[in-house]
Amino acid sequence: MPRLKLYQEEFYPSPLQNTWKEFTENHAAVASLYCVLFFIILVIFGPLLAPFDPLQQHIDSLLVPPTWDSNGNILYLFGTDGLGRDMLSRIIYGCRMTFGISLLLVVLSLFIGVALGAIAGMSSGLRSSFLNHLLDSLMAIPTLLIAIIIIAILGTGLVNSMWAISLALIPQFVHQTRDLVRNKLKKEYVLAAQLDGASKSHIFFNSILPNMGEMLVVQATLAMSTAILDISALGFLNLGAQAPSPELGAMLSEGLDVAYLAPWNIALPGAAIFLMMVSINLVGDGLRSALRYRLLR
Amino acid sequence: MGKIFLRHLSLLVLTLSVLSLFSFSLAFLFPGDPLTNLTGVRAENQEAYSHLAASYHINGSLFSQYWHYLGQLFVGNWGISFSSGLPLAEEINRSLAASIELSAYALVFAFIIGLPLGFVAGLKHHKIIDYSLLSASVIGYSIPVFWLALILILIFSLQLGWFPLSGRIGLLFDIPYKSGFILLDILLSDLPNKSDAFYNALRHLVLPTLSIAIVTSTIVLRTSRRSVIEVMNSDYIQAAYARGLSSRQVLLKHGVKNALIPILPLLVMQFTTLLTNAMIVETIFSWPGIGNALIQAIYQRDFPAIRAGMLAVSVLVLTFIISMDLMIRLIDPIRRRPENATA
Amino acid sequence: MMSLLDIKNLTLEIDTQNGWIKALDKINLVIEEGQIHALVGESGSGKSIIVKAIVGAISQRWRLTADRMNWRGLDLLKMSIKERRKIIRSDISVIFQNPKSSLDPIVTLGQQIKEVISVSHLEEGMFWHRGKQRHKFAAELMHRVGIKDQEVYMRSLPHQIPNDVCQKFMIAMALASQPKLIIADDPTRGMEITDKTQILNLLSRVSQIRKLSILFVSHDLLAISSMADYMTVLYCGQTVESGRMSQLRKRALHPYTKALMDSAPSFRKDLPPKSPLSSLDGTIPTFQHLPIGCRLGPRCPRARKECVKVPEVRRIHDHTYSCHFPLHRDKK
Repeated sequence: MPRLKLYQEEFYPSPLQNTWKEFTENHAAVASLYCVLFFIILVIFGPLLAPFDPLQQHIDSLLVPPTWDSNGNILYLFGTDGLGRDMLSRIIYGCRMTFGISLLLVVLSLFIGVALGAIAGMSSGLRSSFLNHLLDSLMAIPTLLIAIIIIAILGTGLVNSMWAISLALIPQFVHQTRDLVRNKLKKEYVLAAQLDGASKSHIFFNSILPNMGEMLVVQATLAMSTAILDISALGFLNLGAQAPSPELGAMLSEGLDVAYLAPWNIALPGAAIFLMMVSINLVGDGLRSALRYRLLR
Repeated sequence: MGKIFLRHLSLLVLTLSVLSLFSFSLAFLFPGDPLTNLTGVRAENQEAYSHLAASYHINGSLFSQYWHYLGQLFVGNWGISFSSGLPLAEEINRSLAASIELSAYALVFAFIIGLPLGFVAGLKHHKIIDYSLLSASVIGYSIPVFWLALILILIFSLQLGWFPLSGRIGLLFDIPYKSGFILLDILLSDLPNKSDAFYNALRHLVLPTLSIAIVTSTIVLRTSRRSVIEVMNSDYIQAAYARGLSSRQVLLKHGVKNALIPILPLLVMQFTTLLTNAMIVETIFSWPGIGNALIQAIYQRDFPAIRAGMLAVSVLVLTFIISMDLMIRLIDPIRRRPENATA
Repeated sequence: MMSLLDIKNLTLEIDTQNGWIKALDKINLVIEEGQIHALVGESGSGKSIIVKAIVGAISQRWRLTADRMNWRGLDLLKMSIKERRKIIRSDISVIFQNPKSSLDPIVTLGQQIKEVISVSHLEEGMFWHRGKQRHKFAAELMHRVGIKDQEVYMRSLPHQIPNDVCQKFMIAMALASQPKLIIADDPTRGMEITDKTQILNLLSRVSQIRKLSILFVSHDLLAISSMADYMTVLYCGQTVESGRMSQLRKRALHPYTKALMDSAPSFRKDLPPKSPLSSLDGTIPTFQHLPIGCRLGPRCPRARKECVKVPEVRRIHDHTYSCHFPLHRDKK
């Protein structure tokens, strides 16, 4: 879109605008962004959109196939499950739970992780190096294992699984933040600020943090996909959300019993999780590529 | 070079001790009597209980208890399971071997598919084949592994009946336990129908391996593609072309080696994801691995088993990662530069 | 006499967001045998792109047109990429700016130089002798460029050796294929003065001994003036003047050349202390705002209305220039 050139001015977009421009050139990423926005709308307006209550059982309509099947019923758009509950409403609520909770957990872990990582990064010396290596090694433990242990201590249930997952996400943010902070500390503009007499917190909030922002967003999308996967995995294993809660993973495990008769009980919740993952991953990919090209050009 | 080795060794020892400390503390964190959690012996069993209480210095300091616990670990006494009553050490051995077998096959498969495809995608950057491979990898990467396993079961087990639904081998076969790796054990044993057993075991392996491998191979693909793109755009490759070297020479002699080196550390980090996926898949397919054992243990609130299992998995993961890290340091000529003071 | 490299009216267009832009606009370059030819211009004038165009390393999306682009009589434009690469491998060698980044970081120097030595350069012998012969030839090449302790360096990796040795090594590699032309793209950039002089002396010596032509691309006038016989001045993708070094120094015809010469303090005879150094006002125009006609127009102190048309190339013996209002040749 050519700008009206009345004067011999140069149009220099800011880095953020540059990133956005690169991002929009990737059509798949933009489509996924709309998808993510759609899910966010579901999170906020879900209860208004769902036709039925997700826990309400319709005894006379058990295992009704989805509308596009010949035996289907227009009333139940996605069919019903073994207890007669409407799949569409359950899926909407399920998406709401999974997506919303993941978002919440990521934001929480981000704040805690960045805080810890900043402290670790800004400090230096033998103590920090020792801590860093320890942290790196402990990050190697699978998230599911950490979740299992925490659930063993605290018991099953959605809230406990939330604690478990956020505790598993924090090390990633700490590691990433620490690396970034270390990197930026070596730059000359930080040195300039230090020579000007800026305090450590001033340097952090004004020089380092703004430069970390984009990388943190990319990391957050990665963490988000891990969180969605872990929440549904724990729900599936009956360690997290318990039945009759309409969590997508729990729905999958319930649908196992009737899988052969009513495959849509498995296909649809799984497809919803898949769609969430794909959109988040594509957005993350798009952001990463946009950042890379912005730095190149 | 010895210094690097020592450094890694000390790191391993350090993290393992932290882990053992954590495992010890879990006995107190888990609900129930700490001594029971530690050993698996309940209070009803009076004699054994009091005996253990004495040897664990239950009224003494925490440190002496921890020391005793550490000693027991080294000796091989990892406690007794609540549910089965059997000593945990041997159960863990078997399950661990089964898990390692499954994960190893999945990893090899993922590399065999992911690496070459990643190279092809990287070399034909921005062309159609690159885009299609990339899209395929995004899809494979985003599928929840349990959904994939379920769909595979639905189609290949129930609908088509090609592959069995669960387990490691048919119930009719009884393979003596030698190494824990079932394919190896079959070959080593002297059963009358070895080839049948082998074929049966293979059929049981296919679906679980595929479920894990599909997700992992996409990650391998993406990583190697990115590495190849970066290497091919680097200055020395352009300079080699300007020197007039042919495409084949440039690629084989310089491109491939340089592209492989940064891949290894990234893939080592993916090992934990592989393990998580393996654990979930084991549960779905009732594969007798450590993941399945852990999850069953948590269903039954078998705390000693959980602790022992956690310790085993963590030890495995840490040893693997640290030794891989060491190997990478040794292989990569650039990293062999002497370390400076900053970590 | 056939010139080694003969380029006439080469135009290179790049597709950008603002349309097709002429990165190189009708440039001319003629290099004879045994000649040290300097290509001078500010940063961004298109020097590196010319090197890429000659070597054939330009992107597929760019458009290259020329009236003539001959190498020893052969038309380079008509050839396929394979044929061009074959000629480059045998006849032309290139040395780049940052020597360490032109080498594969995980392969030893010895292996890299042996790669460039083709069988035809070795003596007769059975193929199992070839490894040793290669090694000997490589060591000799390194000795000729002044690298001592060849064995040690042959076993080292690129990040372990000092910068000047590295550049000498690149020159040795360039000589391995026994080329007729060496293109040196700013090889002494960022080097210390001692290293720089060594490299420049080496290049002139090599050129003299083997009757090699060298195309030396740079904006370092001091280095060039000590070495070069001929010089072509490039401004913003247009060749403005070309001729013998001595002539250009004494009597530059194009205002830009004069400004360049003036800006280097050693070219001025008597410089009173604390006098302002002369330079041309303004800077190189950006891609989006290239002037029409002579691209020096907006900056040139002698510009007039006619300068919106691209001046044609005029020639006096071997001194070519393209300017409407050249110095020393004012129309009456």
